[in-house]
Amino acid sequence: MSDLVTIFVDGIELQVEQGATVVDASKRVDVDIPVFCHHPKLEPVGMCRMCLVEIGMPMRDRATGEPVLEEDGSPQINWGRGLQTGCTVRVADGMRVRTTTDVVDEARENVIEFLLTSHPLDCPICDKGGECPLQNLTMAHGLGESAFDFDSKMQNEKHVPLGELIFLDRERCIQCARCTRFQDEIADDPVIGFHNRGRALEIVTLSDPGFDSYWSGNTTDICPVGALTTADFRFGARPWELIPVASISPHGPEGANITMSTRQEAKSGGRVVIKRIMPRQNELVNEIWISDHTRFVHHFADAADRLTKPLIRKGGVLVETDWDTALTTVAEKLQAAGSSAAGLSGDRPSNEDLFAFQKLFRQGLKSHHIDLAASRIAGGDVTAQVGIASGSNLLDLGRGDVIVVVASDLHEEAPIWWLRVKQAAERGAQLVVLNVRPTRLDKFATHLVHYPVGEAVATVRQLLGAAQISDGASDQIGKIAEAIVGATNVVAFYGYEGLTYAETDVLAKSLANLLQVKNSDGHSHVGRVNNGLIAVWPHNNTQGAWDMGIHPALAPGYQSVDQPGRSAAEIYSGVQDGTVQTLFVMAADPVGDGLMNGRGLLDFLVVQELFLTETAKVADVVLPAQSWAERDGTFTNGERRVQRYYPAIQPVGESRPDWQIIEQIGHKMGLDKPHFAASLVFKKGIAAGVPQYSDMDYRSIAKVEKQYPDVGGEDLYYGGTSYENKHGLGQQWTSAAESGDVAMFTVPDVTPSAAGALPVIRTAALYTPGTLINRSDVLSPRMAQPTLHLHAADADRLSIATGDAVIVSVNGQSLQLSAHVNGAAPQGLALINGVSYAAGVLDAKIETA
Amino acid sequence: MLKEKYAKEIESLLARYPEDKKVSAILSLMHIAQKEYGYMSQEAKEEVADILGIDPTHVLSITGFYSLYYEEPVGEYVLEICNDLACALRGADEFIDMACQKLGVQKDEITPDGLFSIKNVMCLGACDRAPMLQCNLKFHEHLDEEKFDQLIDHYRQRAAEGDDRAHEVVDKILIETHH
Repeated sequence: MSDLVTIFVDGIELQVEQGATVVDASKRVDVDIPVFCHHPKLEPVGMCRMCLVEIGMPMRDRATGEPVLEEDGSPQINWGRGLQTGCTVRVADGMRVRTTTDVVDEARENVIEFLLTSHPLDCPICDKGGECPLQNLTMAHGLGESAFDFDSKMQNEKHVPLGELIFLDRERCIQCARCTRFQDEIADDPVIGFHNRGRALEIVTLSDPGFDSYWSGNTTDICPVGALTTADFRFGARPWELIPVASISPHGPEGANITMSTRQEAKSGGRVVIKRIMPRQNELVNEIWISDHTRFVHHFADAADRLTKPLIRKGGVLVETDWDTALTTVAEKLQAAGSSAAGLSGDRPSNEDLFAFQKLFRQGLKSHHIDLAASRIAGGDVTAQVGIASGSNLLDLGRGDVIVVVASDLHEEAPIWWLRVKQAAERGAQLVVLNVRPTRLDKFATHLVHYPVGEAVATVRQLLGAAQISDGASDQIGKIAEAIVGATNVVAFYGYEGLTYAETDVLAKSLANLLQVKNSDGHSHVGRVNNGLIAVWPHNNTQGAWDMGIHPALAPGYQSVDQPGRSAAEIYSGVQDGTVQTLFVMAADPVGDGLMNGRGLLDFLVVQELFLTETAKVADVVLPAQSWAERDGTFTNGERRVQRYYPAIQPVGESRPDWQIIEQIGHKMGLDKPHFAASLVFKKGIAAGVPQYSDMDYRSIAKVEKQYPDVGGEDLYYGGTSYENKHGLGQQWTSAAESGDVAMFTVPDVTPSAAGALPVIRTAALYTPGTLINRSDVLSPRMAQPTLHLHAADADRLSIATGDAVIVSVNGQSLQLSAHVNGAAPQGLALINGVSYAAGVLDAKIETA
Repeated sequence: MLKEKYAKEIESLLARYPEDKKVSAILSLMHIAQKEYGYMSQEAKEEVADILGIDPTHVLSITGFYSLYYEEPVGEYVLEICNDLACALRGADEFIDMACQKLGVQKDEITPDGLFSIKNVMCLGACDRAPMLQCNLKFHEHLDEEKFDQLIDHYRQRAAEGDDRAHEVVDKILIETHH
């Protein structure tokens, strides 16, 4: 912890960390110094002059160095000559700050009057009106009248698209540079900038596409006026009409906290609809930022093609039916199949859904044939042992600490983690990046290794070996091992880029063993706060799926089962050879993803979904489920933080929550009556059946505490329009290593996936087309196009040029891709991007179309 | 392509800065780009951005900040005339009108032969010698109609003699890089 100094703000004495600015320090005792350009997450610039205050320091006798005292014995204060900007002045011991004097008031009036000389005052048509810092501070500190001639106001362009996502209103901008500084300092995408000077200054972008950043939406939150608005929300509603509903991002393993702003409106047929997604502060998870994906993906919930009624196959076609018929049919078919029935789930549904799903199979049918429909990355059993310890916060990592990232492009796969890892590196943490190709993280890496294709596992094994021997070898791997073992704290991320499931298992276990290597003080890097392993899961609740036992060999809470069931791969082959006759698919589209070739020899297929997916089209019964926006539940993020989301809109059609549908089927099969609420599934099922969740309930997960910086309160001007967290910071479950030593893992042998003449791997893109994102029209121009990235030398050899249409055959599937040369691919490795998942290093055939 | 045409100059400019601060060379690179393209065209901005590995927005931003980078095409000789208060009191407004009339252009237009454009600029720090103008970084002071005619003739002659774009500041940079 940094040293504390004592200061006095308007006579209130307080202790604050050295280095804090006067504005931020005053906030701790609820003294609000108004600001426009200052933002607690950005470096101070002192541009707007709104925060002018009087600052005094105790005087010292120059000769003796002793404090000079007044007659009454109090220190004599030197108030300096003028006002100072509270956002740039750092606190010092004994400092006095006056924020309510006449001279300060006058300065504020002047700054407001000055700002308004160039501001249009079109509040009645401005999206920010009602939650506008300039509006609020004008009401609080403005004069109400101006010496300025209104005819001389600036008249600038009002609807300037900075790309497809963000619009700029040039005359509303007050030139605070929050947006450009955010893009520069936080997002590392300096694609917007100031152009010209003085009153002619404007925000511009030249990137292609315009304002090319995954974080652009955040600039609209921190913009203190209505200059920046999103294409998605602008002119959509007034802020005061919106009802905020706390939720969790339905995408990505980081579990970003969000607020859904909802409104009931006539133009949507009287329905309550989601008008926008905003960040909700959780300094432990996403601070006050969300990616544009999280912000704009919500449209699937209100999509016109949502399933509204149960469907049943009659005479070869799917026709609408009633719930009772559908549920009875499914129950009878499942019961007839008994322990041979198989179940596949996606990793998006809630813990409640997933728990109910495995219970239906394990208890109702005595079947362990359940798995994730698309298992990409192993290691839930490993992170349960040595996962990042509870109480950790990536925000605390810095000097002396090491972060390791292996086989993951965090910027595309988990942008919030990318942001936090990058910031930790900027705070001084050593960043070790191991990958087969360059990624956006490389530029922040202290140690960077691009291992040869197929040698991810070998490289990590080498690293583990070096750490265990610790002979001070001076090669790069030796140095990395030394840095890791000697670090104060170590957090290791691992992903699955270019790896098979089996390889990720080896990766997880090798890294787990690496973290367990003890340093000279006898400390290892597991079981301690701010230490441990994090899997870069592909979806928002992959962690929950592991915890809930969506696994053929692991029951809830990672308890082994005596007779493991079929894995997903075995289920798919069983579907083809007829050994699997009855299959239940929840929230997944194995046919559409190319994992399952039609319905094969299935006798009965039931699909529970939001949309009529390719799998649903060949099903016998289709059950319409509710999206996350229509109900409550919990997701568990990759740091094992269990977080609640709340219902925001009414159910679409007759759709029901997944857990409820499953429990109703179970009830027809003789299991318990369905619970009345998701909270009871959690309490009676999960907390009772999953040991790691035994100390949790919906109340404990919903606990909040005061967070700093104090963003999202009434004073929007301070931190922007991100919402205060009133609905829960979540609860991390404790890894085994926290309550005692865990054994070293036995690392299995694995044959790296074979590589042909030109090995190909699939790389992730944040905007990869998929069932949910495809429903967000606003993101469609940004969608990753199916692309083959080639190095110039390889392209020459294959006689392929940028823009050529190529066909790549992968695992029996033909992908139509557009070639891109000299992009991201290193020599000797081709990358495919913008297509659904394919595991490992692919022996792909590349042909020009 | 600047990269090829000025490879040596660019290399020597970049060599002046540490590995992680190469962007510091941006102003000099922009002068070279402007010499090549006559103004900071889209191409010019993109090439400078490419050399430095930054987004072209950054180059645009700097183009807008400094008045000596031109965002629109200009004549080979840019006559930048100040008419701030002191100059205006000494007849700078009338001088500008006269100059425009003589060259047959409005402010910010280019003469049909491509040789001249007139710009109205803020204080150049030569108030006591007004009316004055700056032409490609060179000051011409105590001007009147006669002196203006001489100046124009002088530049016309230089151009006729094949004066390579008279962006002297760039030449200076290029000379420096050769040392």
